[in-house]
Amino acid sequence: MAKIMAENLNQNDQGQEVISTVGMTVALVSFAMLFATLMMGFAMFRFTAPVWPPAGMNRPSLILPALSTLSIFLSSLSYIWFEKDIANKKGLILTIILGLGFMLLQSLLWGQLKSQGIFVSSGIFPSIIYAFTWIHAAHIVAAIGLLFWLLNFVLKEVNAKARRRASSVGKFWHFLGIVWFIMFMTIFVL
Amino acid sequence: MAFFEQHIHEAPKTFLSKYVFSFDHKVIGKQFLWYGIAFLGIGGMMALMIRWTLAFPGEAFPLIGHFLFPQTNGVVPPDTYAMLFTMHGTIMIFYAITPILIGAFGNFCIPLMIGARDMVFPTLNMLSFWLAVVSAILLLVSLFTPLGAAAGGWVSYPTLSLLIGSPGIGQTLWCLALFILGVSSTMGAVNYIATIITLRAPGMGYFDMPLTIWGLWLTAVLNALFLPVLGAGLLLLTFDRVFGTTFFLAGAAATSGSGDPVLFQHVFWIFGHPEVYILILPAWGIVSDLLSFFARKPAFGARATALSMTSITVLSTVVYGHHMYTTQMSPLLTQSFMMLTMTISIPSAIFFANWLGTLWKGSIRFQTPMLFSLGVVFVFGLGGLTGLYLATVSTDLYLHDTYFVVGHFHYTMAASVLLGGFAATYFWFPKMFGRMLNETLGKIHFWISILGLNGVFMGMMIVGYAGMHRRIYNPFVYEFLEKLIPINTFITWSAILMGFGQLFFVYNFVYSMFKGPVATQNPWEVGTLEWTIPSPAPVHNFDEIPVVKCGPHELGNPNLKGRDFQYQTEELVEV
Repeated sequence: MAKIMAENLNQNDQGQEVISTVGMTVALVSFAMLFATLMMGFAMFRFTAPVWPPAGMNRPSLILPALSTLSIFLSSLSYIWFEKDIANKKGLILTIILGLGFMLLQSLLWGQLKSQGIFVSSGIFPSIIYAFTWIHAAHIVAAIGLLFWLLNFVLKEVNAKARRRASSVGKFWHFLGIVWFIMFMTIFVL
Repeated sequence: MAFFEQHIHEAPKTFLSKYVFSFDHKVIGKQFLWYGIAFLGIGGMMALMIRWTLAFPGEAFPLIGHFLFPQTNGVVPPDTYAMLFTMHGTIMIFYAITPILIGAFGNFCIPLMIGARDMVFPTLNMLSFWLAVVSAILLLVSLFTPLGAAAGGWVSYPTLSLLIGSPGIGQTLWCLALFILGVSSTMGAVNYIATIITLRAPGMGYFDMPLTIWGLWLTAVLNALFLPVLGAGLLLLTFDRVFGTTFFLAGAAATSGSGDPVLFQHVFWIFGHPEVYILILPAWGIVSDLLSFFARKPAFGARATALSMTSITVLSTVVYGHHMYTTQMSPLLTQSFMMLTMTISIPSAIFFANWLGTLWKGSIRFQTPMLFSLGVVFVFGLGGLTGLYLATVSTDLYLHDTYFVVGHFHYTMAASVLLGGFAATYFWFPKMFGRMLNETLGKIHFWISILGLNGVFMGMMIVGYAGMHRRIYNPFVYEFLEKLIPINTFITWSAILMGFGQLFFVYNFVYSMFKGPVATQNPWEVGTLEWTIPSPAPVHNFDEIPVVKCGPHELGNPNLKGRDFQYQTEELVEV
């Protein structure tokens, strides 16, 4: 009897894992379509513009965006470290710190742009920089919220359920890192 | 195919957990049904006001006109007219049809028809409904803002929808409301997709699913893929309005690197064309099933129907350009989009022929759900065929922006989807509420509706072909349209007749819910899984998860003894 119950529990865990994987994958495809649409709009402006960046505007400095990229890259690495053994919460805490650091760098970036006289309404390129980073940052804020929620959960119990949640939140976090990397390359570098 | 068995949860006890913040897919389905029907009423009233203005320009709207428009002695003012057709489109598409077919019947049917106890993510499901309520409140509030609600058409093209065209807060609220509704629908879509992939009863392969589930599943896929596209467009439009970005701003911004209003059209229709199929696919699925159930024979070519619906889903993502032939696209592009659009008629013709094949030599029972399904076959045939004229570039250039377009998309989206929704309501009402709807009232409702809507939409096509433009407050100031006043009056009377017919439905629905004859477990004598359990369905649906042994349309098998259908849980009867 005990064995059957254990098997049922095991089957239940496997089933739940499939479900959370399928659910999170579909959700990420949706998020990807949102960012893909933004990128499509950007590509259209970029390829039809005679010069880029548009006349009279300099490229924003690369330092802060590059630091953001570094910070979000390290946060993904530390999350992978956390996922290897979710009983070790240091990786998760480090991810949260790096995530908050990313947000700090983003707000510094917005401040720097404003101090250079690049405002939201100064044309299409600033519009793209501000709007895309805002939308991405909104997702990062939500994801940091999820990281705190996960931390709260793993502090209480470490089990299969916690692992599933860690894996789902992790997919979202890595996804946002990839989106940032694409935005960094296309908007700031190229 | 189920990966595991869901637990049986205890039945909720308090009023709040039972009827308001319920996790139960059946209750959420009913909530969406109420929501959709309420908005159907509001949108319908708006349609009547539009029609009244077109038939009797300058005359007060009867009964409630003086209350609504006191400044003009009850006449619909021109700016209000623009708001009315904008909000009519928005409400009908996003707040009436989507909740009824996808929200209500998606939620209600999916777990029951695939043999699951609930959706995989019940909390997400509840959240999806309450976000839809938040969105509805935002939209309704926008009607009472100082400069009124959004008035740039349901497509809200810039620059009409920018601060230049609509300075009021109504348009911003419209954007936010639709964005939130998009989030809500995407949540629902994630839920539907995951549920259908993981929770099908043991033995149920994809081709053993009823076609209703096929339709809903494909719809959910399109929703998950393309609602975020609209979301992105709406976000950028909101930023343009609120923060002063210049994405869709043309002209003046050209000096500082210009925006592009046409970009919004691209984004909108990349979403918008799949949206057409998002609305119609559930109706196709439901009708494919009901035709088989009431013709008492297996669905002809059920696999081909499922596959052609799938190929339409795929094709629907690459044809959006046919909405934009007149935006100075390169002729190479317009012709490519024309070819791709025409390609859709191949799978459409396949499943349409399958519908006729299902009916052929059936022993048809003309009960109300069947009448509505046959109505769908008729109006969808008309709607689909008139679509060809709009898909062809050379005819579209003439017909673009006329009432022909309005007639066409009302035939496909309004008429087909509405009749499909009514068919589903009449069919699943016993399983929802445990009582039967009145057949006589249902038939009266059907005949008035079908006469009314054909009068309206056929009339629209005729005036459109004669050159009458859409979205004009008083088209008869143009001399060449003056002769169209009588036919416009006819359309309006047909619309009033159709609106009047819906009263039979409302009365029937409310009365039968409390006083109708008690339904048996399987009043329609069909074999899909939801009819193997009592009516109304118990909280946890299935005491034991059913094991599926045959397809959903095993009707009229000559080897059957005593009845002409068998349940999906029974072995296929062979000699």
